[in-house]
Amino acid sequence: MKIAKYPFAVFSAALFTVMLITPISSISNLLWLNSVDMPVGIISSLEVLLFDFQRLGILLYGVVIIGFAIAFSFTAVLINFTNISSKYLYALAGAVSIGAAMYLMVELLFESELLGGNRTFVGKVLHWIAGFFGGYFYYSLISKNKNYTFIVRFFGILYAYLILGFVLNWVFTPESAAADYGFVLKDLNDNAQNALIRDFTSFFISTFIFTILGVITLNPTWFLAAGIIYYGAAVFNLYAIFIHGTNYNQIYIGEIILGSWPTIIAFAILYFKKKE
Amino acid sequence: MKLYLPAFLFLFSVHLSSEYKFETVLDNLDDAWSFVFLSEDKVLFTEMPGKLKIASLKDKSITNVTNIPEVAYSSQGGLSEVVLDPDFNSNNKIYMSYSANTDNNKITLFLSTAELVNDKLVNSKVIFKAVASRRSPAHMGAKISFLDDGTLILTSGDGYDHREKAQKLDNHFGKTIRINTDGSIPQDNPFISNQNALPEIYSYGHRNMQGLLVTSDGLIYEHEHGPKGGDELNIIKPGLNYGWPAITYGIDYSGAVISPFTQKDGMEQPLLYWDPSIAPSDMIYYEKDLYPEFKNTFLITALVSRDVKQVVFENNEIRQKSLFSDLGFRLRNIQDSPNGYIYILTDGPGNKLIKVIPKK
Repeated sequence: MKIAKYPFAVFSAALFTVMLITPISSISNLLWLNSVDMPVGIISSLEVLLFDFQRLGILLYGVVIIGFAIAFSFTAVLINFTNISSKYLYALAGAVSIGAAMYLMVELLFESELLGGNRTFVGKVLHWIAGFFGGYFYYSLISKNKNYTFIVRFFGILYAYLILGFVLNWVFTPESAAADYGFVLKDLNDNAQNALIRDFTSFFISTFIFTILGVITLNPTWFLAAGIIYYGAAVFNLYAIFIHGTNYNQIYIGEIILGSWPTIIAFAILYFKKKE
Repeated sequence: MKLYLPAFLFLFSVHLSSEYKFETVLDNLDDAWSFVFLSEDKVLFTEMPGKLKIASLKDKSITNVTNIPEVAYSSQGGLSEVVLDPDFNSNNKIYMSYSANTDNNKITLFLSTAELVNDKLVNSKVIFKAVASRRSPAHMGAKISFLDDGTLILTSGDGYDHREKAQKLDNHFGKTIRINTDGSIPQDNPFISNQNALPEIYSYGHRNMQGLLVTSDGLIYEHEHGPKGGDELNIIKPGLNYGWPAITYGIDYSGAVISPFTQKDGMEQPLLYWDPSIAPSDMIYYEKDLYPEFKNTFLITALVSRDVKQVVFENNEIRQKSLFSDLGFRLRNIQDSPNGYIYILTDGPGNKLIKVIPKK
């Protein structure tokens, strides 16, 4: 657990930092939309903030993990040669790594500023500050002893983060969500559209809530409930294919993965609790 | 015209290329971007690194044209479009769009004219320099077309990092530009009397416009690379706002939301949009007789879908067919020859010019 603590602290701090970074682009975009008289309201703001956190966030997550892994490793060595407090060194390393990552994304990868929120000086400073807090968060994670709950919670949050994408798609852009399943929502009659939107949204939102409750309470039943729902979806997907003659699709593979993930978490909690 | 409809509703995957023979007439070109016919057997073409060349399609010989303006070749920038003056046979004039460095070491879009005399450009003159300086040459636009009144239209892209400026009239990001062939400004331009607007602007709110043509009935058609899921085909009218990036059907390639809105009063809807994106790169409106099945339809080359979309407007409906997809290349440019043959330019370094020959 001692060794595992460090990588999972990087993964967790990166996720925390992504949570701070993505709203910078979202809010700068919303402010601009408002400035050109677009009817920005609570719903549209939530749509932008949540979608950006989920979709843009996944892209950034990988970048931030790499940046943090390098910066914090270097800092761990540097600590031995300086009297500066570790927590400030890690925080500073977080800020520098975010600044460097944003710079290199432009210079080496895209030749354009991918993040709208990083196009202004103020935006850049806000990104550095987010990195600073990310580094500080990393320090707070590694400076305490951790048990299995830290890793279990991390995987639970990551799972919820992925499920959030499905939730948002069905809540805000059901046409696009339907297209991912290979059908055109508007081609269906009103009753069918209604049924699909409400059932799919409820399906994903429920598993999302189960997972969050599992992360908070560490009660394995919540994770198991989410797993059962996705396993059920896989079973009845195959049932529809082989019994009712619908077209073959490979979505059941994704459903098995989404079912297995929380189920493994649930059994891991049971195992560690028994061990304790 | 309420024709804007999700393009995928009408997308048929009919591949007709088995009815055509493809002949590679030029190969191993250095990132050729556009071409134009000087005669049935002779084409003038640009290469992005800054070369203008004349190729004989009979003996495949290629001649370099000299005295070319210096260009900034990188990313999406370089020597882009070349077109002939409507009176080319009498005045030998051509027009070229390209990205080049400005005085402050940034890059912007230029439009030059020159006379093509004995494989050399003479009397070169920059007739337009976009107020759209950027750090790297992304989203340049750079398409040129002539209106019936002799003025020309140029597309100037949003520069990617400057997308919000497409909604402001004090710059040339995300605009179509209308000027006279000597660079002067037509007095009937829509913003000519607006003190807060640049007078060359013809329409605004565009992204990266890579297709532009004027049909015989005088309508200006333009298509543009949208974000992910938001490529558009529009009819351009003077003074109108086409919405980018305040309204769009796509999302950013980073996954970020560009706008949660798809429509607003005062902003034009596209004739159609493509979701998923096809990356439309050029288009012609085919009016000749050699391929009766294409007559009076739009043929649009695409980079991502690696085909030519035939777009038909009929009874307030839009139909599309996918053509030539078995070529398997990203397709950059399309032209019809004086005799009506269709030629397609593939994309990127080492690209080819391919002649489409009907088997019948």
